[in-house]
Amino acid sequence: MQARSEQDARIMVITGNAAAAYGAMLCRPDVVATYPITPQTEVIEKLFEFAASGELDAEMVPVEGENSAMNVVTAASMAGGRVFTATSSWGLAFMYDAMLAASGTRAPVVMVNVNRETPGIIAVSSGQQDMISTRDSGWIQLVAEDCQEILDQVLMAYRLAEDHDIQVPVMVNYDGFYLSYLAGKVEVPSKKRVSDFLAVLNEQPKRQILLPGQPLGCGTHGILQGFVELRYKHVQAMERAKAAFDAIDQEFASQFGRGYGGQIEEYRTGDADIVLVASGSMCGTIKTVVDRKREQGLPVGLVRLRMYRPFPSEKLTQVLKDRKAVGVVDRSVGFGIQGGPIYSEVCSLSAKFGGASVLSFIDGLANTDVTSDHVEQMLDLLSAAARGEPCPQVTWVCMEE
Amino acid sequence: MAPHTYFQGEGPWSDADQLMLYLDTGSWRSLRPVVDAEACIYCGLCALFCPTQCMINKGEYFLPNLEFCKGCGVCAKECPRGAIIMKPEGECDASKE
Ligand code: SF4
Ligand code: SF4
Repeated sequence: MQARSEQDARIMVITGNAAAAYGAMLCRPDVVATYPITPQTEVIEKLFEFAASGELDAEMVPVEGENSAMNVVTAASMAGGRVFTATSSWGLAFMYDAMLAASGTRAPVVMVNVNRETPGIIAVSSGQQDMISTRDSGWIQLVAEDCQEILDQVLMAYRLAEDHDIQVPVMVNYDGFYLSYLAGKVEVPSKKRVSDFLAVLNEQPKRQILLPGQPLGCGTHGILQGFVELRYKHVQAMERAKAAFDAIDQEFASQFGRGYGGQIEEYRTGDADIVLVASGSMCGTIKTVVDRKREQGLPVGLVRLRMYRPFPSEKLTQVLKDRKAVGVVDRSVGFGIQGGPIYSEVCSLSAKFGGASVLSFIDGLANTDVTSDHVEQMLDLLSAAARGEPCPQVTWVCMEE
Repeated sequence: MAPHTYFQGEGPWSDADQLMLYLDTGSWRSLRPVVDAEACIYCGLCALFCPTQCMINKGEYFLPNLEFCKGCGVCAKECPRGAIIMKPEGECDASKE
């Protein structure tokens, strides 16, 4: 870790939403188009404060809905701007077609999505169902664990989205309520250091943009083989994003002194027989329980998913190899599949990582806390599974009996 | 495996001056607009209304570009002089124009 002076960074106690806004502001976006929704509203308020005070010099577009927000930033991105927006749940659903346009046109949009349960049952509360339901939108999807990581992931998101070799929009996810309103210690780097971190983008070849007087089509002529070619390229870019994210994370660590491990974070997995796979703020609790269990001599560990799309298949296969039991915690449900959505994807790798029984845990829906008791329950079940005892494939940990 | 390249970069950008904008809208036409150049008063309404914008300005009259004309009949409907008739393709000379 290199020594930092006050000019390099400020230590602040701020909410996850403020951390997201600081992250965006530090990257100096040209256009910000946003529409408020709980629990994301504070991100916008903060950005408008920055704009009012002159700290942020961006075109601020207060639109009439999320669909317009996404269309505005996509268009601005296609015209060469650096852009930012933020949403959650219903807002994400309302911009779905525009999200597809952003990724289909390969516009390097960066957005934070403050995870909240989706429409239908009014649950103004946390859950990852919104992120899960945009899985196949062609976006890169990252998940942060705490306030500091929210800020850091926004910076990394611009490096990833705008990389000439990637050019795919990036969504940074963090748990609504738990992180959006939780104030924590955050190191806010100086603009100078952030522009140093982003500077490599300026050295890359320029991407195609739309200029006045030079009419071009974008996304308008992808018939037959043209469509196939574009889909193929997009899928390949998603594959490249995995190694790119690892590399960006390493570079981030050397510049800011904070590294997270890239696509996944491994926590005490070295000799672990039992491994939990989880994402988001619940990982803080899980780490505490893992520490406690380790003190009792139980070889348990955590793999924290930091990248949900592209799915870190290779990394997970490596780290889950030859464990005795693997548990996957989903803060969302899989309709019509057995177990949670992330669980089912981990299962698809089980032939490759071999051996372990894999169990699904549904927990934390609609702000039901993923408590340390819950995590203990999960680990007890996994210990039983590791001993070869029969265990339920899916456990709704958050459902009281 | 590398895809055949229609697009130069990552994004689906297409240049209006390049072949990429070529969309075959002419091959499935069942009715062909036939212009009576003598009756045409060169008002340009057919060219204005044609949804594929395929009417070619011939100086004193207009003729459809049959590579693109989809046979919708809008031009015949709009022509104030009835100078365009829509003729079934089966009855037309297979050659273009
Ligand atoms: S038939 Fe339709 S497409 Fe063909 S020239 Fe007339 S208006 Fe245009
Ligand atoms: S609308 Fe009829 S009269 Fe006018 S230019 Fe076309 S063909 Fe000629």
